Amino acid sequence: MSKPRRDKQPEFRPGTWLLGTGPESDIAICTRVRLARNLQDFPFSPRLDEAEAHELYRFVTQRLQKPGLPEALTVLDLQPVEELERTVLVERHLISRELAGSKKPSGVAVDLEESVAVMINEEDHLRVQVFAPGLQPEAAWRRAERLDDALIARLPMAWSEEFGFLTSCPTNTGTGLRLSVMLHLPGLVWSEEIDKATNVAQKIHLAVRGLYGEGSRALGDFYQVSNQVTLGRDETTIQSEVLLAVGRIVQWEREVRSALLRGSARVKTLDRVHRALGTLERAQILTSEEALGCLSAVRFGIEENLLDGFEIPAVNRALLLSQPGHLQRHSKELLKPDERDQRRAQLLREVLGCQR
Amino acid sequence: MQFCTACQKAMATIVIMDLSDGAVTGSQHLCQACAEQLGVGQPKPPKFSAELLEDLLGQKGPRARSRPSEACSGCGMTPADFRSKGRLGCPRCYEAFRGELVPLLLRIHEAAAHRGRLPVPAPAAVVSEDDGRTLTDVRRRLEDAVRGERYEEAARLRDELRRLERGDAS
Repeated sequence: MSKPRRDKQPEFRPGTWLLGTGPESDIAICTRVRLARNLQDFPFSPRLDEAEAHELYRFVTQRLQKPGLPEALTVLDLQPVEELERTVLVERHLISRELAGSKKPSGVAVDLEESVAVMINEEDHLRVQVFAPGLQPEAAWRRAERLDDALIARLPMAWSEEFGFLTSCPTNTGTGLRLSVMLHLPGLVWSEEIDKATNVAQKIHLAVRGLYGEGSRALGDFYQVSNQVTLGRDETTIQSEVLLAVGRIVQWEREVRSALLRGSARVKTLDRVHRALGTLERAQILTSEEALGCLSAVRFGIEENLLDGFEIPAVNRALLLSQPGHLQRHSKELLKPDERDQRRAQLLREVLGCQR
Repeated sequence: MQFCTACQKAMATIVIMDLSDGAVTGSQHLCQACAEQLGVGQPKPPKFSAELLEDLLGQKGPRARSRPSEACSGCGMTPADFRSKGRLGCPRCYEAFRGELVPLLLRIHEAAAHRGRLPVPAPAAVVSEDDGRTLTDVRRRLEDAVRGERYEEAARLRDELRRLERGDAS
């Protein structure tokens, strides 16, 4: 981190989300470790006034830029960053929607692979995020732990023996660890078993949310499973609980998929996949919702060897580029919703290589 | 297969063997219902009672009742602020609002004491000269006792916790 660029957004490579590699990557897209950390002697971020927030931001970024950090991070000051670029960062999972909406001094320190992102002045002073492709809780945790050690060595963290790491919201107190796995579950959704699967996870205190879309509606059959309990269970226990539940869901998804490809169900499944591809190839107007649905079906088709000539990374790229921020940034202009839907249809044909 | 030795009606599905010095000295054949009634059924997933722990640890203790929280000396957050937002204002709020915070943590996490990483390696305080009986340690053992439905032990630990909180030596 010799020369931190603060004004210009660095040109990132595709990012951990889009690799389509790692264990169980046909179903588990990405694993994320998030640690909530706060400094002693500062109120938590929501209670900082403008001057204090600035002071905290300056202090943290200064310490982050001292040599010896295990990750090469570039600090991006978010204050001058415009709304569209903030949306792009949210869509790339580098910052949260909350941080994107904040006008306070804040920032994010990112590595070039987009596998590490440290948010500064979000709900907590620091939110460390580490991503690993596929299902890799342990690898992601080890990398996060190493970075956390380095951060602890250079920043006076708020903690107590009794409550562990002290956080702004009591839902994060203790380990401050939120371990999430992003899953693609078209089989469970199409065979209407998804509610049962999410109930199983919820019974052992895991949260299941849709990755795209608001509220409980999961667009494109993408889900996120994460631990809710952060206090009273150590990091290893949290990892094994998430791994256990996700392993079961993955196995369930595989069983359901093979049932969808057997007997009389097979032709219906093939029809669904090919219709989705047909739509992506021919449609002139695509809403974000329809695009996610079609991309999910095509992704399923590729994973189950039902479609030739398409690659998972292209689908993952299409998933990202079909979102409003990326779509507008790619088009180099702000678009009205109906213009976006036209542009989306066109762009997806390009990305998937089915332009005629 | 044989009938339950307790009710003589249902088929026995559980065998309880008495062991003494590694040798079987007796056995009992029970049906599921009788076994549960006698408290020797299959180990069920622990039925954890957050309310129960809350009663043991929370506001109902004499300490919390006699000292309602005041505004936090660190950031000035008032108990009313804390109650309405459910968020803490600064690290010191954890002490200032302890009385209200502990029941809240129990509801969220079914636990009120940390396990896992801390910024300092293995703090000596955890294994103090007093047989490891620090507040945190006792609190953890209390949680475990309630989880394991060992209520007599839980009650004893609660009293110990109260003593420690008051700062009594024994």
